[in-house]
Amino acid sequence: MLDGVSLTVARGELVDVMGASGSGKSTLLRALARLLPGCEGALFLDGTPAERIAPTLWRSRVSLVSQKTVIRSGSVSDNLLHAWKLKVRAAQAPPSDSELRLALDSVGLHEVALQQEAARLSVGQAARIALLRSSLTCPDVLLLDEPDANLDAESAELVSQVIARFLTEGGAVLRVCHFGSHLTPARRLRLQQGALTEVTP
Amino acid sequence: MPDAASAQVIPIGLPQLLLATGLVVLVGVISIRLSLKLERELMIATLRTYLQLALLGLVLQWVLDVDTPWLVLLVLVVMVAAAAQLIAQRTPGAPRGVLGSSVVAMALSGFTVTFAVTGLIVQVEPWYMPRYVIPIAGMVLGNSMTGIALSLERLFADMDLRAEEIIASLALGATPWEAAGDVVRSALRAGLMPTINAMAAAGIVFIPGMMSGQILAGVDPLAATGYQIVVMLMVSAATALGSVAAVMLLFRKRFTAEGVYVEQGYRSDV
Repeated sequence: MLDGVSLTVARGELVDVMGASGSGKSTLLRALARLLPGCEGALFLDGTPAERIAPTLWRSRVSLVSQKTVIRSGSVSDNLLHAWKLKVRAAQAPPSDSELRLALDSVGLHEVALQQEAARLSVGQAARIALLRSSLTCPDVLLLDEPDANLDAESAELVSQVIARFLTEGGAVLRVCHFGSHLTPARRLRLQQGALTEVTP
Repeated sequence: MPDAASAQVIPIGLPQLLLATGLVVLVGVISIRLSLKLERELMIATLRTYLQLALLGLVLQWVLDVDTPWLVLLVLVVMVAAAAQLIAQRTPGAPRGVLGSSVVAMALSGFTVTFAVTGLIVQVEPWYMPRYVIPIAGMVLGNSMTGIALSLERLFADMDLRAEEIIASLALGATPWEAAGDVVRSALRAGLMPTINAMAAAGIVFIPGMMSGQILAGVDPLAATGYQIVVMLMVSAATALGSVAAVMLLFRKRFTAEGVYVEQGYRSDV
């Protein structure tokens, strides 16, 4: 589906990928997260080739938030803390409840309680929880597959603020985006017939 | 009281068998009257029962007469291979390698539990005594086969069903075991539940098969009880061992060496 695609995202840079549905945008993000079976190519993180970084470590540094939100059974807090239950973060302390509370408030989820059953969240709430689940782990790169898809204008604005903060803290973001967003990207790329081209503004 | 045990078994001969076949003919008539279209299957199944059990009887008689350890071991190996084959047939959605892993799992649980029972608990002399080893191995392998097949069916169906959850977990840096752990656990529970339920219901809802058989053969019900308890416990151990081994050997095959989950559209082996 993708062939000869090449791209670089710098720290602090937001790059948007556009393209018709079915053009392979989500596939591209999965490949970059090293979550696509049977694909070939060379990936680098901060100049280190992917072969020298364990896959689980890579995925913890290059964090994919897929378009289809997956909420685990358990509470909101269980969902947000899931990443710290994994061996790859065994040495890291999970965020405290007050930090989680702040994170929820930052995306407008004031009404969501940490101990609340996550299965009962609305689609828009769940999408924001899924974004926080990744961004809270402070990865180097966030791969976001249509982060605004299930959000109203106000929530989309708050999500943009989270992304903006992540960028100023030195993160890199590759975002699949159909329409215009509150946050203007540094560059726009178009995926068409398996090839990636720069869109000139 | 005259010489008990042997005198109490009333032999089944050809007339008795033909009479029993009458019962199946009755089922056949019902099938025809209600258009269940089961006549053919019923006839074939009845013939198979006759043939397979007659063959089994002949083979067992021969193995008991020859009475050497090699023949007993050969019978066990054939049983393991046949059971593994049945497991592979029952799990068409499983990845490549299901046959080999089933052989390993069946052999491990079958041999361990069978010889633990005959060697340590019943303490038969000599250790390979076919009259004990073969029926016990048969019960162990049969139940462990059912447990393994149930666990594997559940495992691969659930992995497909919950693929997005597995991938989301991997995306956070999970290893295949961390990502699939919940699915693996529920598959093992599915495989073990029938045996646990059977243990809980034993003697209340039904008289277990082996105990019925022994009582029919003239064994004192209390003596038969002891054997039946040993059998039920060994069956649950064998089911657990076999299911755990098979599931552990196979769940990782749905992931690449890099720990990428290979979901339905990306598989080359189906």
